[in-house]
Amino acid sequence: MTGMLTGIYVPGRSVIHRLDARAKLIGFLALVIATLSTDSWLGYLTMLAAISVLIILSQLKISQVFGSLGRMTGFFAIIFLMNLLFFSPEDSWFSWWIITPSYAGLLQATNVVFRVSIVMVLSNILNSCTAPLDLTRAMEALLRPLSFIGIPTGQIAMIVSVAIQFIPTLLAEADQIRKAQVARGAKFDSPKLIEKAAAIRPLVLPIFLSAFRRADELALAMEARGYQPNKKRTLRNSANFSGLDVFAVIVCVLICLSQLSLM
Amino acid sequence: MNELSITKKSIIAAVCLALCVVLPQAFHAIPNAGSVYLPMHIPVLLCGLICGWSFGLLVGVLGPILSSLFTGMPMAAYLPNMVVELAIYGIVSGLMMQFIHTKKLSFDLYISLILAMLTGRVVAGVVRALIFSPGQITMQAWVTSYFVTALPGIIIQLILIPSIIYALTQARLIPQRYPKGA
Repeated sequence: MTGMLTGIYVPGRSVIHRLDARAKLIGFLALVIATLSTDSWLGYLTMLAAISVLIILSQLKISQVFGSLGRMTGFFAIIFLMNLLFFSPEDSWFSWWIITPSYAGLLQATNVVFRVSIVMVLSNILNSCTAPLDLTRAMEALLRPLSFIGIPTGQIAMIVSVAIQFIPTLLAEADQIRKAQVARGAKFDSPKLIEKAAAIRPLVLPIFLSAFRRADELALAMEARGYQPNKKRTLRNSANFSGLDVFAVIVCVLICLSQLSLM
Repeated sequence: MNELSITKKSIIAAVCLALCVVLPQAFHAIPNAGSVYLPMHIPVLLCGLICGWSFGLLVGVLGPILSSLFTGMPMAAYLPNMVVELAIYGIVSGLMMQFIHTKKLSFDLYISLILAMLTGRVVAGVVRALIFSPGQITMQAWVTSYFVTALPGIIIQLILIPSIIYALTQARLIPQRYPKGA
């Protein structure tokens, strides 16, 4: 089941890998805003060019970048058809029952599918080129101003980091449990609600028990080593922004501003 | 459930956050599982019930975002609405468990769960009608999407969540709310 995940870190030495995680996170947010505000052909071309450059610079395999899009083809097709056929009854090419395909619908359908695809590709590149721990530290650094109003940003970053590290383990365990229940004859598609609930219970309960047992062990180990949630911690390697990081952030912010000005 | 240390609450919240990504994938083999069984709601409600409102809020906000980043689901367009709904589940379930003490765990759980599920759906509907899709959602559409389509998920949650809490208590992974002899 871990094959369903695309945003898993792939170690490497590419330019994108070497960028500071804070720069990557700021750049990612800027490009997501740029994507969501794109609604012209020039905007589309700019975003496609930016994505192509990112893919080349990241040296990732095409399957790592576009893997999740392939699995969503059916969903994209449905979203595209729904927007194309039902979006606008005005200026439709023809009308039959409730189906009214139009140019406005075609534009809306393209917009939706394009934006979602680009955001997914961007998040795949970010996750594949950034170690989870670096990403968590970047999040902590960017959230730090919130600590002045009493929000425990360090603790939030720790929770996210532990969660990310738990995901592959729990996915593998959940998959094993599901297969075991199917082998025992569990029927998840019964039309009766009580039977459905009865089938789901042996799937979900062991997943929770196993996950909480792991949480218990980890919490115990952390407390035994003197972990205190509200204490300030230092880093072994405290990285500074390099010229390349600043350049990457400036380029992403400029793309974002240019897209906003095209709106 | 008041004896959990902050560290343990944090790690339980982390596990619930991970389960927000894992559970929808585990339900992947079942047709329409996402909208019918609402698998992401279960860890958020559980976290609120066990760890309190602040951890419930955190998991409610970050759960859908993390899942969207890792698996592409929920889609970015549905994300804001889902974040609001799940955040309210986390907050209300935690607050209710903090304030309601009927001396019966099952009553506390069901009252907290039902109030959290109702409040979350009402707030999500209002926010959708006023902010995310102004003028595009009718009362009928709200009732259909939040109650009729989700009815199996609601019933499954009402059956599953208390049984998970009982199982975790029996396995001594969380402390008893009303210890015998206390």
